[in-house]
Parts: sequence; structure tokens; C-alpha cells
Amino acid sequence: MLQIKSLMHKSLIALAGIAVMAFSVFAYADAGEKPSFAPNVPHPTNGTTECVEDEDEMKKNHMEYILHQRDATVHEGIRTKTYSLKQCINCHVPENSEVRFGDDKHFCSSCHNYAGVSIDCFQCHTDRPMGKKATGKNPHKPSAQVTLPVKSEVADASTVGASNE
Amino acid sequence: MNKALKQINIVDESRRSFVGKTATAAAALTIAPGVFLNQVHAKPADEAVTDAKRWGMLIDTAKCASGCTSCVTACHEENGIESHNRPLTDQQWIRKVKLKDKLTNHVVSLPMMCQHCEKPPCVDVCPTGASFKREDGIVLVDRHICIGCRYCMMACPYKARSFAHEVVDNKVEHQPRGKGTVESCTMCVHRVDEGGTPACVEACAEAEHGAMLFGDLKDPSSEISKQLVEHGGKQIRADLGLNTGVRYRGI
Repeated sequence: MLQIKSLMHKSLIALAGIAVMAFSVFAYADAGEKPSFAPNVPHPTNGTTECVEDEDEMKKNHMEYILHQRDATVHEGIRTKTYSLKQCINCHVPENSEVRFGDDKHFCSSCHNYAGVSIDCFQCHTDRPMGKKATGKNPHKPSAQVTLPVKSEVADASTVGASNE
Repeated sequence: MNKALKQINIVDESRRSFVGKTATAAAALTIAPGVFLNQVHAKPADEAVTDAKRWGMLIDTAKCASGCTSCVTACHEENGIESHNRPLTDQQWIRKVKLKDKLTNHVVSLPMMCQHCEKPPCVDVCPTGASFKREDGIVLVDRHICIGCRYCMMACPYKARSFAHEVVDNKVEHQPRGKGTVESCTMCVHRVDEGGTPACVEACAEAEHGAMLFGDLKDPSSEISKQLVEHGGKQIRADLGLNTGVRYRGI
């Protein structure tokens, strides 16, 4: 009986301790200060104030939205902007930005670096908006030294010879 | 999350943009009534492609100028393809080929790219399902799924596919490309979905050759269908029975 009592006593103290800790965290949040260890996620720079879903929802499930949109776009040609990775970048990374993915100042890396979650989106996708340039032809012209690739061509008919120009 | 509400918003947005695009397309008709510009086929952005259309190309080798590489340059610019000065392994989505009849010495020049087969061998052999054909007949690689095994490159009778051996530095937002995957002509799917024409076709028209015609093979009133009815169009390696979406005249 004595043992049980002392256990209850201990757990009560522990609970009180947790409550105090939790309260102090809330108090901290209420004061509007960010703990020094939290990631410094930059806000959209294009005047947008609201994301396509609630902030909490996006924090938790943004990958699901992007993944769904990815398949819809590639396989079905559905090109709505709302949940597209392109639109994430257009809002969250300033145009003409020099910041690249991997840099702590990049919207995606700011949190992914912090959480230690590596993603490979930007091995293929661009990590900054192309802006108006995107509507015209690609501004990234081939380098000056470009030579047209030439591959050997095998003639498939005895009377016709094929070769690359 | 208020999913239902969001859904309504999406529909509204895309309808709005559809109306806008239709208006733009109509304007394009009146401003420049060229063969390549008077195609109105923009679909609402939230609608999936269907098999009601099949995109194809007709290439007139008589108009294709020997030595002209406008289509190749335009393709590279549009899709951010850069040479690494290694001709044997550099990516090429489109290339110019010269065909010479050894008996008559008659030479024809033509652009060669993915032929967007109805029965694509690349899709048959792909072990992951990355190589696929869209409902509207465009053959693509889903590079999210591609493991870079290059079976499709070996299966393709047209040597249309390339492997990305190098990291892509200058990425373009409409055509994500990356090291370790296979890629090929997409018939500029990002343009087609928004009612546009492939970059090579546009460049060929700009170069005043007009050797390339893009359109819907299933629509009997489309320019490409009319031309096919009138003049016919050959498949390269027709013996394989692949029913290619790219047809040639004068070979």
C-alpha cells in the first residue's frame, strides 16, 4: 500500500512537471518568439498571404498533394496550378532569386534541412521560378560550344543508305 | 480541410482560364491564319486527356531542307537540352537524317524523333511502367518511376531515346529532366495540353520550310488528316506494324 501511494505521489509530481513544461512552451509561443532551434521558414514574397490549404495541413501533408498532382499531370495531362510543385516554387521562392535548393534560405530546404529529410525533387525540377521567361522559349540556350550530336546510323535497306547530317 | 470547397474553386479557375484561352486562340485565328496556328484544341486544365484525339505529325521530306537544323535547335532550346561535347552519349530528342537511294543517288533529308507508336515497343519492355502511352497517343517516360535500365532504348527501332548521363544544370520548369533517366521527344506535351504546337513544328514554319505539320489524326477535318487523305503518309519501318503517329511524305 505504501509502495502504491509513493508511486502515485511520484506520478503526480511528474504530471505536474509536464504541465509546467507544456505551459512554459505555450507561454513562449504566446510571447510571439520563436525558439532558437526552430527552422526559419521564409514567407512567400509575392504578396500571397494564404496557402492553398491551411498551414497545419500543408506542413503535415504537402507531399501527398504534390504526389497526387504529379501523377495527374504526367499521365493525364491535368495541369491545374493549385497543388503543383511549380506553383509552390512560384509563390515561395522569389523570382530572380540566387538562392538554390540546399541553401538554408530556400523555402524547401529551410525545413527539410532542419528535419533531416532529403528529397530529390530538385534533381529534375527547377528550384526557382522562371517567371515570364517560361512563356516564351527556354532562356537557357545551349552553350556556345554546342555541337549537334551525331550518332552513327545503320542503313536498314540494302539500296538505301542513311546517315546523320 | 475543406476539400469540397477547394474542388469547386479549382473547377472555377480552370473554366475561367479555358474561356480565356479559347478567346486567345480565336484571336490567333484572325491575326495569323497560318496553317500551324489555326488549331483550336485547348482543353480545360482540370480535364484529363482522352482517346478522342490522337496527336500526330506529317513531315514532307520535299520541303525539309538539307542542312537545316532549325527543328533540332528549337527542341534543344525548348527542353533545356545541352551538349556536353560528347556526341556519342549526348541527349538527342530529334535529329536530322539523310537518306540516300544508292541506285538513283536521290537524297532526302528528314527529322527523326520518337514516332509516338500506337503499339510502342518501349512501353512493352519497360519493367517499371515508367514508359507509357497517354490516352491521346503521346508516348512518354515518367521519370519519377524510370530506373534508367535503358531497355526501352534498345527496344526502340528508331533510336529515339537518350539517357541522361549528366546532372542537368539549367532546368526548365515545364520540362523537368535529370541524371539517370531515359528521355525522348514528348511532342512538347506541355505546349499541346495548353493548345500549343510542338517547338520543332513552329521552328520549321518560322524557317519558312513548313515541312512539319502537327494535328489530330482522329479528326477528319484537321489539316493533317486532310493532307493524309490527299497525299498519304508513310511510316518508317511500316513492316513492324507499330502504327506510328509520325508520318512522312516523299520517302
